[in-house]
Amino acid sequence: MIENAKVCLYPKNPGEVVRILEQEGRRALILAGGTTASQVRDPGVTTLVDITRMAPPTDALTHEDGEWFLGCNLRIQQLAAHAGLKQVFCGMLCDAALSVGSRPIRNAVTLGGNAVSVFRWSDPPVALLAMDASFDLVGPERERTLTADRFYSRHPRRILKPAEILKRIRVGVPSGRHGGAFFKFARTAFDLAVVDVAVCLWFDSDICSRARVAIGATRNVPWLSTRAARMLVGKRLEGKSIRAAARAAREETKTADDIRTGREYREQMVEVIVRRTIERAGDNALGV
Amino acid sequence: MDIHVNINGQAVAWRANPGENLLDVLRREGFASVKRGCNQGDCGACTILVDGTAQRACLLLAGQAEGRSLVTVEALGTPAEPHVLQQAVVEHGAVQCGFCTPGMLLSAKALLDENPSPTYADVCAALDGNLCRCTGYKKIIEAVLDASGRLRK
Repeated sequence: MIENAKVCLYPKNPGEVVRILEQEGRRALILAGGTTASQVRDPGVTTLVDITRMAPPTDALTHEDGEWFLGCNLRIQQLAAHAGLKQVFCGMLCDAALSVGSRPIRNAVTLGGNAVSVFRWSDPPVALLAMDASFDLVGPERERTLTADRFYSRHPRRILKPAEILKRIRVGVPSGRHGGAFFKFARTAFDLAVVDVAVCLWFDSDICSRARVAIGATRNVPWLSTRAARMLVGKRLEGKSIRAAARAAREETKTADDIRTGREYREQMVEVIVRRTIERAGDNALGV
Repeated sequence: MDIHVNINGQAVAWRANPGENLLDVLRREGFASVKRGCNQGDCGACTILVDGTAQRACLLLAGQAEGRSLVTVEALGTPAEPHVLQQAVVEHGAVQCGFCTPGMLLSAKALLDENPSPTYADVCAALDGNLCRCTGYKKIIEAVLDASGRLRK
């Protein structure tokens, strides 16, 4: 319960949200799906800002000129079930969305809320990072676009400027030979992740020309294993290079004990899950 | 502030703190079928329909309900005229303590509204966020499949 909340506002467009945030500052709390906000216990919050009623509809998922536009208020369940998006990078973003909790949770959680409020175990942000998505932001002065690398270089709440919000996410439709895969490793069917891995691979003939290996649940935000990618680029995808990439990802992993597992086990699982995800992405790309 | 909702087909205005959990408001307003279990979105005992989709009342704030259409199990049927799902649950013995049953019924209703001919796997997926600690799930799933068959006739 947010006990000191006095009012809930329903802005009609992103500009109105920005104006409210400028006026209210830290007294305002944005509500999208509400699953995170409902657990907030901040006595300083007096104004709730429900951003799900904005027009033009911000829960749209559209395709134009080789890009998918994902509105910030798109529900995770819509994303999980979207037939068009299942064709992009072999449906890895749909798979990541389907990994989020149970269906009633996915019916509530929004893509924008999940992307901005990212927790250590959040699944879709790992896929978005691997897919090299772009993040369109609206702020008091101007609109700007950040790459996924920049958006997740720190926690997005520290990347967003005061009164700035995420409006939509863009995912490019890849061309040429490519493949993707997402793999969540958790203790039970809808427990939070012990390790999340998302991999995108591009090929020139059968040589890997580009690789993005994103890892989640080990740090506060998902991160790219550049060392793993280096082990793949310029080579055929075969057991030796895949194992070297998985080992490199493990060496690059900085993590800690938590309630789900210990540091050492999680590091071991990074190696295992990275290997499996690269294999799956490779199979998807090369039609095995 | 006043929260205007349509609950079980009736337009009402509730006086509530917009930062209150919707579960608290619903129970205070007399909708006792909405159970408090884990209070953190895991167990499904507080499942309601929000604009036709199954959601957790414990993870929604009262302010978010403004203008929405809510359905609780109170609207599903009556003891004299139970809903087909309720009748199937009774006939299949799919209730023991009954604490999870309202949430199960609403998750099942959302499924059947969207997909009148679900497979066994579809039912399992739709109910995967509703925990039952007594009967297990076999009879509940069978009841939902039976109800789907009766509704199609």
